[in-house]
Amino acid sequence: MSTALTPAAAAEFLYREALLLDRQRFDDWVGLYADDAVYWIPAWKSEHQLTDNPDTELSLLYCASRSALVDRVWRLTSNLSVASMPLARTSHSVTNVLVERAEGDCVEVCSSWSSHVYNPKYKSQHVYFGSYEHTLRREDAGWKIARKKIMLLNDFIPTVLDLYMV
Amino acid sequence: MDPIDVASLLDDRPGDGVFRVHRGVFSDPRIFELEMKYIFEANWVFLGLTSQVPHPHDYLTTTVGRQPVVVMRDGEGNLNAFINSCPHKGAKLCHLAQGNRKIHVCQYHSWSFDSAGRIRGLKFKEDGHYSPAFDDDSHDLPKLPRFEVYRGFMFGSMSDDVLPLGEYLGEAKTFIDIAVDTSPQGLELVPGVVGFTYQGNWKLQLENCSDQYHFTSTHPSYLRVLDRRAERGWEGTVRANVRGRGGRKAQQFPADGLEHIAGGSTSFEHGHVLNWNRRTVNDSHPLYERAEELKERFGEARRDWMFNTRNLTLFPNVQIAENASSQLRVIRPIAPNKTEMLTYCIAPVGESPSARAQRIRQYEDFFNPSGLATPDDTINYEDCQDGHMNPLAPWLQGYARGMTLASGDGDPFIDKLGVKALSSAIGGVELGDETIFHTYYRTWRRLLLKGLNAERAAARAGTNNTASAPAGTMETVR
Repeated sequence: MSTALTPAAAAEFLYREALLLDRQRFDDWVGLYADDAVYWIPAWKSEHQLTDNPDTELSLLYCASRSALVDRVWRLTSNLSVASMPLARTSHSVTNVLVERAEGDCVEVCSSWSSHVYNPKYKSQHVYFGSYEHTLRREDAGWKIARKKIMLLNDFIPTVLDLYMV
Repeated sequence: MDPIDVASLLDDRPGDGVFRVHRGVFSDPRIFELEMKYIFEANWVFLGLTSQVPHPHDYLTTTVGRQPVVVMRDGEGNLNAFINSCPHKGAKLCHLAQGNRKIHVCQYHSWSFDSAGRIRGLKFKEDGHYSPAFDDDSHDLPKLPRFEVYRGFMFGSMSDDVLPLGEYLGEAKTFIDIAVDTSPQGLELVPGVVGFTYQGNWKLQLENCSDQYHFTSTHPSYLRVLDRRAERGWEGTVRANVRGRGGRKAQQFPADGLEHIAGGSTSFEHGHVLNWNRRTVNDSHPLYERAEELKERFGEARRDWMFNTRNLTLFPNVQIAENASSQLRVIRPIAPNKTEMLTYCIAPVGESPSARAQRIRQYEDFFNPSGLATPDDTINYEDCQDGHMNPLAPWLQGYARGMTLASGDGDPFIDKLGVKALSSAIGGVELGDETIFHTYYRTWRRLLLKGLNAERAAARAGTNNTASAPAGTMETVR
């Protein structure tokens, strides 16, 4: 158990996360996250500057625990959110996966992503894209996401952005 | 296109208890064209906050109707608004949302302007073989005829024919005061702007912010999430300032005969409105740390109003929504069926780091196109827009609740502020007053008819005002 996550295994982990989102297996997806996971999509404060302190600057989405993500996932399939009925169809691609730091039970991975989003209600489509930073942590139950930061490059949003679209 | 009979699109018969809006106001391109000309480009519109341009030579770019506009602070500290377009060939002069520049050089032919909008350099002028007539023209940036600030809120008008800003805002000023007075240093925008569009008319946003009736129907998923958190404990999630379904009626107000009143709506001259809900002064509100201080400075009644949820619309393009958190929304119509929103977290300057963080978390939880509530609103607008071409039942029925309740006699809550409203209504959570929208449409009708009448008068006098309306207002600047 002392070996760090290999780059290939880290990439596979990210692909699996994307697959679970695209298959809309949201409970399994949220199961990839640690209890104290931070899930963060910063906003932009100018043409070329992301916000970088979530306590003093605005984010598009900031969840500081797995249970906050569980609430969001619950809403998606609750039939109580008109913005989630019907759910959009998504296809994520994750590329350029690079292990930035690997220290025993903690691995930092960066990657590029794009997500094609199709809204069957309006027969409209959109592509969100950007980069990810994942911090993966080994726990008793296996590797979990301790932190995920999503840099959304096209942040001018056509009506809705939800966590399964990015 | 055929002319359109604007007055026929409102069925406004107070004596008969009737107020109906024709669906065409949301979908007809001829109406949209008139709105751009006679509301957005001939009336006060919100431009930004002075705190966005605090230093000499700071600038911010925005739009007024269809026109690019730049607000600049000059070297002496004076603020002005200009059309953001070089007089030479029309190229946009300032390209960023915000910045700081002493001299703005047009990137097309290098004409340059100072931060007071004055021409500073006209490239190769001496060798240009210009006629004397060219020198008779001003080469300065065209200034908006009217620019005024109320408590840090900057407004401009492309027409000179408007009331002084203070009169235009009228009694609604009190509710700007209540927001601004939450800090001795006023309000600021939290860094980070969120922009989005929806496929619907701009007036759908105007209405929804003032629509108390939709809340439990549009946002049950949000209310249920609040219940889930309350049951499980707030640990790791956001403690909301709004109550879930369980807590909606559970607030305890003093037994003063008004304890059954949950909130109300208030409308003012010139299309401004406020809808509000009572909130007890409690620590789920980031302002709680200042509760005593605010009571001492402004008295208990006014302090209590600072804790109430308040959705204020200043017609036609800005809303200060203080409910689940505090949001500044700037509405920009793009087309009859497309609207752009720029949204910001607006906050009292100098609040504690923990209060600020709480405010930001509450904001992201509820607002944002990625939040738990806003997307359910905007998708509803799009659903409405889809039905707005319906010719079989053109008269919408969403303006009737409260018809036999609302009055111009005031109510015990606004009376405490000394506010005189055009109309107000108070009641329980089930009231969902819709008479609050009437002032929007009466103002809308008045402005469009004013513009059309001027157009017709000019046509009778033999001048073609249709072509010169926006340009004509700019000519008066020179």
